[in-house]
Amino acid sequence: MPRWVPALGKQVASVAVTLLGLLALTFFMGRMLPIDPVIAIIGEQAEKETYDMVYAQLGLDKPLYVQFGLFIRDMMTLEFGDALFTGNKVADDLARVFPATIELATVSIIIGIGLGVPFGMLAAVYRGSLLDHVARFIGLLGYSSPNFWLGLMGLILFYATLGWVGGPGRLDVMFIDMVEPVTGMLLIDSLLAGEPEVFWDAFSHIVLPASILGYSSMAYISRMTRSFMLEQLGQEYIVAARVKGLSRWQVVWRHAFRNILVQLITVIALAYAFLLEGAVLTETVFAWPGFGRYLTSGLLAGDMNAVLACVLIIGIIFVGLNLLSDLLYRALDPRTR
Amino acid sequence: MSTTVRAAIAATLLMAAGATQAVSPAQAATPRDALVMAWNLDALITFDPAQIAEVNGNDIIRNVCEPLVNYDLTDVSKILPNHAESWSVSDDGLTITMKLRDDLKFPSGKKATAYDAEWSLHRVVHLGFGNSANFTQWGFHKDKVAEQIKATDEHTLVFKLSKPYPVGLLLSAMFASGSTGILDKELGEKNARVNDGKNDYGNAFFKTAPVCVGAYRVTRWNTNEVVILERNDNYWREPAKLKRVIIRHVPESGAQRLLLEKGDIDVARLLNTDDLRALDRNPAIHVETTVMHGFAYLAFNAEDPILGNPKVREAFRYLVDYQGLGKTVLEYQGNPRASLVPEGAFGALNAEEGQPFKLDLDKAKALLAEAGYPDGFTKKYIVSANNIAPVVAQHVQANAAKVGIKLELEQMADANLFTRARSRDFEVLQIGWGAGYPDADSMISRHAVNPDNRLEAKLAQYPSWRSSWQDVKINEKAETARMERDPAKRIEMYHDIQRYMMKNGPMAYMYQTVRPIAVRKEVKDFAITPFNVVYRTAGK
Repeated sequence: MPRWVPALGKQVASVAVTLLGLLALTFFMGRMLPIDPVIAIIGEQAEKETYDMVYAQLGLDKPLYVQFGLFIRDMMTLEFGDALFTGNKVADDLARVFPATIELATVSIIIGIGLGVPFGMLAAVYRGSLLDHVARFIGLLGYSSPNFWLGLMGLILFYATLGWVGGPGRLDVMFIDMVEPVTGMLLIDSLLAGEPEVFWDAFSHIVLPASILGYSSMAYISRMTRSFMLEQLGQEYIVAARVKGLSRWQVVWRHAFRNILVQLITVIALAYAFLLEGAVLTETVFAWPGFGRYLTSGLLAGDMNAVLACVLIIGIIFVGLNLLSDLLYRALDPRTR
Repeated sequence: MSTTVRAAIAATLLMAAGATQAVSPAQAATPRDALVMAWNLDALITFDPAQIAEVNGNDIIRNVCEPLVNYDLTDVSKILPNHAESWSVSDDGLTITMKLRDDLKFPSGKKATAYDAEWSLHRVVHLGFGNSANFTQWGFHKDKVAEQIKATDEHTLVFKLSKPYPVGLLLSAMFASGSTGILDKELGEKNARVNDGKNDYGNAFFKTAPVCVGAYRVTRWNTNEVVILERNDNYWREPAKLKRVIIRHVPESGAQRLLLEKGDIDVARLLNTDDLRALDRNPAIHVETTVMHGFAYLAFNAEDPILGNPKVREAFRYLVDYQGLGKTVLEYQGNPRASLVPEGAFGALNAEEGQPFKLDLDKAKALLAEAGYPDGFTKKYIVSANNIAPVVAQHVQANAAKVGIKLELEQMADANLFTRARSRDFEVLQIGWGAGYPDADSMISRHAVNPDNRLEAKLAQYPSWRSSWQDVKINEKAETARMERDPAKRIEMYHDIQRYMMKNGPMAYMYQTVRPIAVRKEVKDFAITPFNVVYRTAGK
């Protein structure tokens, strides 16, 4: 058989084992939590007969390993079961909340990269200058400020006082359901439907939460960029290139930057993965119906179906981004081929 | 710096400026024909009136699937006709005949009859969710309900009772409840599913949009995002003033406040004390506080050797600074109350008699000494981590410490707290309860009466059982009072029970919950009462 089959097989097996272990750990921890998922459905004033009926309906009377086995079996057919605390199928819920978070995370990471990389580069090249200190200070602020506080302050300033951006929520009340959900991401769907007004409204609502999340990412990315760049700029080949007559910025972009790309991609992938996990506090402040809030609400209601499905998705995201990074390394760094 | 870099910076700034221009919202007001409310819709899982077990769903459903009779908006102890326009009771008190209006229509224009009502009532009992207790506690049962509730013609419903309950009590407790909404039987039966041999009576179908008689109907529900109601133009009363009601899920108090101040919403229903204080000062906004028929209280485990002593529990009554709390922490949140029957309910003690305690450390110490614990004791105290519960708990803990009682506080998520309460797994518990109907029987039948105190009985829906407390005399008194048909005599009996429970009961009630709702002044005639928030009269 071709050489890559056993290698691929090993990869797949390793991913599967990781995910299975993750799910098992979550499942058994979840069942040990003293939170009763039945109460989320029937309310705490209900009587024993109602309780028993729903308990049996949910299959909670079966032994733990049987419940876990059933869940894994259903999952193979992408049947994640019902979310108790929303009353919908988990798969339907995820199809609704995950795109909302993808949209927010993607715009945030674009802001994070768009500002973070240049800032980091400038800080490294003009090391020790005022620009460097300012960039690092702004970064530190972004890194240490709590997102929900920044969110509320941002709302007070940019929404309530200045009226520059839309308020909490993804859309203004009058635009709800004007656009068919194709991808679930309003910015794309509104363009696909040819509704520019909806697009600008969605944009005005996403720009503030994305900026806040982007600000934290930017802080992290710029710091790492700066530190990677400094490492490169201290190398001998940089001196050699300058001696040969290349201008400062030619050296920086064409040589140093290309060498830090691999490390930078790791950093960016990680930052993106964290954003995709859902920033529950930001989502709460901005009434953003995303993945973070969904997972948190499911956890607080003791809803193992929802929590396990979410954990699986997060596991897949990290694994996926890891793989993607690996592929990009091979593309960018000839030494790894 | 190089030209490339300068160009890049300039381009970014230009884009940002351009984007901001495009982004400035044209106007930031709510649509003229819609009432926009912000709320926390996390607990909403269904719109089936037979299944709704939480406050938000109940609030909304009473505007979509109206009950057979309704509470008077100004005095909840009075019942007014709604879909049932009149009723009569047989001499032996065992049969109630209700006449329904003949102009009831579903939003499609189809006529709604007593047969639809009969089916809707039967399914509540058959489905067996929490709401079925509204019926089963009066003797209606799955196996007999077909005979017990019958539609004898298009406009008449006949109810056969097993005991001659006072009709006022039944009207308040059963007929005015949200589970008596009239659903479309034909549609429900057509869309019913059978799972494992059990008929779901359209439960899955009605989950997203019930088809009922009411001023509004549910046209959209995006989970955890928005609920949209639209006016039913075939409503038998004059149609609702506003065409739509839009309920937005905004889970953060600060965000709701900003939306309200900017005018992007008309009503904010989830606000904390700080935001309420600020909104109260805003001339464009009116804060309406409604005293609800719900409580926050301390429950003691009567099986515990120390807490089982009534004198010990009585001592705790004097460790709560009712007046102090009322002036500070309870602003917008509660009204001090010690009687288990809320003010405003039929049979309740008045404000003064219903709250005779005050902070009195000496009295508490004396009672403890009488009970045999002059040096106090140590107990575990569990409380919810939400809202003002921890603050109130710390208050009790501080006062208790002054008389030698060491209370070890543990905060937890609500779901966790309910689980522990329902399984008797606590020593001292601080928790809340909402009365189902504005009659003393509502609280007494659950907090004072305990039909079976054995652990195996698992009567987790009885807070009295949760506290392992049973008093056979009180069981009898409550039953007698419940059946008493002379209103004056009933009231006296309930006063008697309340005074006894205030002294000896397993709970120390601290305050009656208050529900604050902030409304923009442009909204008129938005009727906000303890059991009904009426959307159809609201106008702008």
